[in-house]
Amino acid sequence: MALSPKLVREFDELVTHYPEKRAGLIPALHRCQEENGGWLSPETIEDLSAYFGLEPVEVFGVASFYPMFRLAPRGKHLVSVCHNISCTLRGAEELLAHVCKVTGASVGGTSPDGKFTVVRVECQGACANAPMFDLDGVYHEDLDDKKAEQILRSVK
Amino acid sequence: MSQTPNPAPSSASTPAPAPAPKPATIKIQVDGREVEADPKQPLIRACHDQGVDVPMYCYHPGLSPVGSCRICQVEVAAGPGQPSRVVAACRTPVSPGMVVQTDTPKAHETRRECLEFLLKNHPLDCPICDKAGECDLQDYSFNEGQGKGRSSEPRRKLEKRKSLGDVIVLDEERCILCSRCVRFFQEVTHKPQLTVSGLGSRSTIATFADKPLSGNYQGNIADICPVGALTLKPFRFQARVWNLSKTLSTCAECSRGCSITVEALRGKEVKRFRPRFNPQVNQHWMCDVGRFAYAPVTQALPPEGGIVGGRLVGAAIRGYHGLERVELESALAEVADLLRAASKPLVLLSPFVTQEEARAALELCAGLGVAPRFVSPAPNNLKDDLLHTGDPCPNRRGLSELGVAAIEPAAALAELAAANAALLVGERIQSLLDVAALAKLPATARLVVLDVAAHDLAALSAAIGVPTHVEKSGQWINVDGHVGVLNVAVPAPAGVAPLERTLRELLEHCRAPAAR
Amino acid sequence: MKEFQRYLLDRIAAANSHTLSVYRQQGGYKAIEKVLKTPLKPEDVITVMKDSGLRGRGGAGFPTGMKWSFMPDVTKDPRPRYLAVNADESEPGTCKDRVLMERDPHGLVEGCLIACYAMRAKAAYIYVRGEYRLSYDRVQAAIDEARAAGLVGKNILGTDFSCDIWMHKGAGAYICGEETGLMESLEGKRGHPRPKPPFPAGSGLWKSPTTVNNVETIFNAPFIVERGAEWFKSMGVPKSTGNFLCGISGHVNKPGVYELPFGLTARQILDEVAGGIWKGRKLKAFFPGGSSTGLMPASAIDVVMDHDSVKAAGSMFGTAAMIFLDETASIPQVMDVTLRFYDHESCGQCSQCREGTQWLHQMFHRIARGKGKREDIDLLVSLANGMAPGKTICALADAAAIPTLAAVKHFRAEFEQCVELGRDPLAPTHAPAPELQGAH
Repeated sequence: MALSPKLVREFDELVTHYPEKRAGLIPALHRCQEENGGWLSPETIEDLSAYFGLEPVEVFGVASFYPMFRLAPRGKHLVSVCHNISCTLRGAEELLAHVCKVTGASVGGTSPDGKFTVVRVECQGACANAPMFDLDGVYHEDLDDKKAEQILRSVK
Repeated sequence: MSQTPNPAPSSASTPAPAPAPKPATIKIQVDGREVEADPKQPLIRACHDQGVDVPMYCYHPGLSPVGSCRICQVEVAAGPGQPSRVVAACRTPVSPGMVVQTDTPKAHETRRECLEFLLKNHPLDCPICDKAGECDLQDYSFNEGQGKGRSSEPRRKLEKRKSLGDVIVLDEERCILCSRCVRFFQEVTHKPQLTVSGLGSRSTIATFADKPLSGNYQGNIADICPVGALTLKPFRFQARVWNLSKTLSTCAECSRGCSITVEALRGKEVKRFRPRFNPQVNQHWMCDVGRFAYAPVTQALPPEGGIVGGRLVGAAIRGYHGLERVELESALAEVADLLRAASKPLVLLSPFVTQEEARAALELCAGLGVAPRFVSPAPNNLKDDLLHTGDPCPNRRGLSELGVAAIEPAAALAELAAANAALLVGERIQSLLDVAALAKLPATARLVVLDVAAHDLAALSAAIGVPTHVEKSGQWINVDGHVGVLNVAVPAPAGVAPLERTLRELLEHCRAPAAR
Repeated sequence: MKEFQRYLLDRIAAANSHTLSVYRQQGGYKAIEKVLKTPLKPEDVITVMKDSGLRGRGGAGFPTGMKWSFMPDVTKDPRPRYLAVNADESEPGTCKDRVLMERDPHGLVEGCLIACYAMRAKAAYIYVRGEYRLSYDRVQAAIDEARAAGLVGKNILGTDFSCDIWMHKGAGAYICGEETGLMESLEGKRGHPRPKPPFPAGSGLWKSPTTVNNVETIFNAPFIVERGAEWFKSMGVPKSTGNFLCGISGHVNKPGVYELPFGLTARQILDEVAGGIWKGRKLKAFFPGGSSTGLMPASAIDVVMDHDSVKAAGSMFGTAAMIFLDETASIPQVMDVTLRFYDHESCGQCSQCREGTQWLHQMFHRIARGKGKREDIDLLVSLANGMAPGKTICALADAAAIPTLAAVKHFRAEFEQCVELGRDPLAPTHAPAPELQGAH
């Protein structure tokens, strides 16, 4: 398929930040994931390996290590609910149950209409404003069922 | 690292002495003994070189050390009387005066703990696992483990028979994530094919997108896998390794002559070839072409008790009624007559003959007044940057050093067509010349064939069976001049005599015709 | 609690505190000016950092000036040198660095410049956890502003000091907050911590000398350089100087990130800063410095919050991420959540950590659901002792083992009760969320 010229230009600039090209790989994986509906396809892995002069298996090994990189398609919107200590102490499990109810997704799954994927995540660094979720890269903190529902229902 | 102190400025007229050259090894103490250690190698090598069996999974002398399995832990102190700590020997540099103890309760306790963790998820597959009997997890558990696991938790459930292509099967549950296989492809073949996928207790070894492994070196990862996670498809369930006899030998499939071990079930049927460490030739590795070449070594007998179309056991002569089995003595006498009667019989050697067999052939040829040549097929396309030379002649260099000239198969066939007698000597010589082409030769060529198999050739006057290279002892010389030894790994079938002896007896017969 | 001087969060009250103009208005970039225009020698900057007594704010509390001095002698080692700023902030309970990055990013930029000058580093890489989008954007914007103003890049403030600062994103792995795991990740690889030796100052990023420092640590540098070591030492206690950011969470009335001096007790912090335990309940236990420091019982609430005092009391100051639990909190459940984290985050290299974090997690999970056995409790201790200390490449194994040991030590009776009853009397009562089969 090949990387888009826009991404290639971005990456050409990106790699100048480092003495070795490979250091741009993880930022590049982020960008490709953003441009590809929130996941990394095998074709994208191959494109990136060609760009960085690596074998696809190496890029795959890197991508598979990091929880933020998704190697399978997901719903349009990603709801990441923290389930670590501070959030659990302040109702993360109840929040998670409510998020599933509102979206229709099971934890780890996608709603039948493909709109939401709901996942558990580890500490997001919002402990003083727990519980929380990250919706499409934006933190929503100090949540209760009502606020959470409001936020989710307002998503297109 | 100690530095040579600068000599103090001197008022004397003599110049300061040159600093002493740095020693190649340094002195350390291992288990109470003072030993010399190579400062370029990690501590575990110093221990192993001294015969101290520090256990290892992720460490392999042919790969870079990663220090992840944690089984190689030993106690070290910077010097005598200094406080000691437990370290991973594979990632610990040696330093002068270091005091190493591998046998302390603390070292053993640390390894016991490590083994308990490894066995927590490792499946109890020993009864069905090929690796049993040569498994480092079994061996170290037996030596240092605690006998009874304390886990009541479910084990990981992963794929147990994942095909990685034609050569390797992966059992993800058995894998202890030592990453040797990953490093092998990266560092030895220089083409990564495997990775650790995922992280933590969910890690598995994987290819990209379920692609099969490729290349001519896949079998090595089954060798270096410390457990039965990576097994060889051709060897799966073929034999229990403790029933395999192990014989030092040399691979026959190219002029590299990798050192191998020939392993035969109860000493009778070859079940696998494995590489043997040889720092001058093949390090720890061999290619798959050589590794799986043991299958053709076992050749079936001809159908319905016939003489041609399979392994030749004994001798046969073409009489009035066609090929007939005869006693070896009688065959040798007839062949001697045939060769003496011919003017300048052609003598061709297989490049599979050993130095010893070649010398016997040269003596025979001297007696016949002819010079032998060895059949030299064209290089194949298997040459690579690692081991395979692309030259299918295991003893080309040895024969050349003995003064035997090479002849290409096409030229040899042309000469055979015009000859009135020819002696073809050695394993695979007929296939190197091409059996179909030999079959077209006229009966007047009067071939005497000393080979493993007999074929239906009009020109065949006599045939005597010879041992294969796993059934004989001797030496080959490899492409770089290194000696490769052959030892008898399995006996040749009764009735097949060693080729060297056959050649010498033939010479005797050639010299003493008046005795009949 | 008496009044104390503030400096860390002094500027963030101003609107647009994250912009260059407001930063300058509030006195920003005076420190680097002082360094470059005096000029101070790099060694002198390291000396003032040493004298200040600043200890790393990323959890280990290692003296910062000493760490900077580990960089090799530049006359003997010509390799390029780097600063890596650890903005991976993933220790459970920790949410302080993002405040600095979101609200005062130029402070971090100026700190990087000073650190790079002192260590003669040619560039700083700020490794931000992938989830911190706002932090990333704010710091990147600050770098862009600074670059445009001749404060980052070649010939800073017209001197021959050149220094680049680059943002770099992580992708969700806690282990990339470990120094050498961070460097592996920055180099574009799996975040596998490296065995030590070699140490980062000898062989770090791309095998070059590298120092890895936490955001808050670097953030302190401009203040120390500008106001002096004596000023810094006037705050806190002799062996833990300056102020620190304390993230308070859990069952309290006023969770938040607060600037505090060293030397207060945990009780003072709970009662006078965090508003006490919520809902009129009583304290049961607390993590003093993030989940890796392990629980302390309520009886330990008078521990003085400085590095050495907490250590002497059997725990660690860590990142000062204080998580408070009230009497309704189930210790087995909290430990299940805690070990679930380490199980998820183990990189998987070391046998004891890869298998042990999963094993401990499975055991706490079982006990919290009333399926524990009597022998489990001692087994937890035995396994934790098999994992740590010092048996693995990095300290994640310790981070899982220490809380395990602390939980059993202080709350054994609660575990025993779950075993005896066949259930956890403090188990949550709400209906759980529907889990996709196979998801973890």
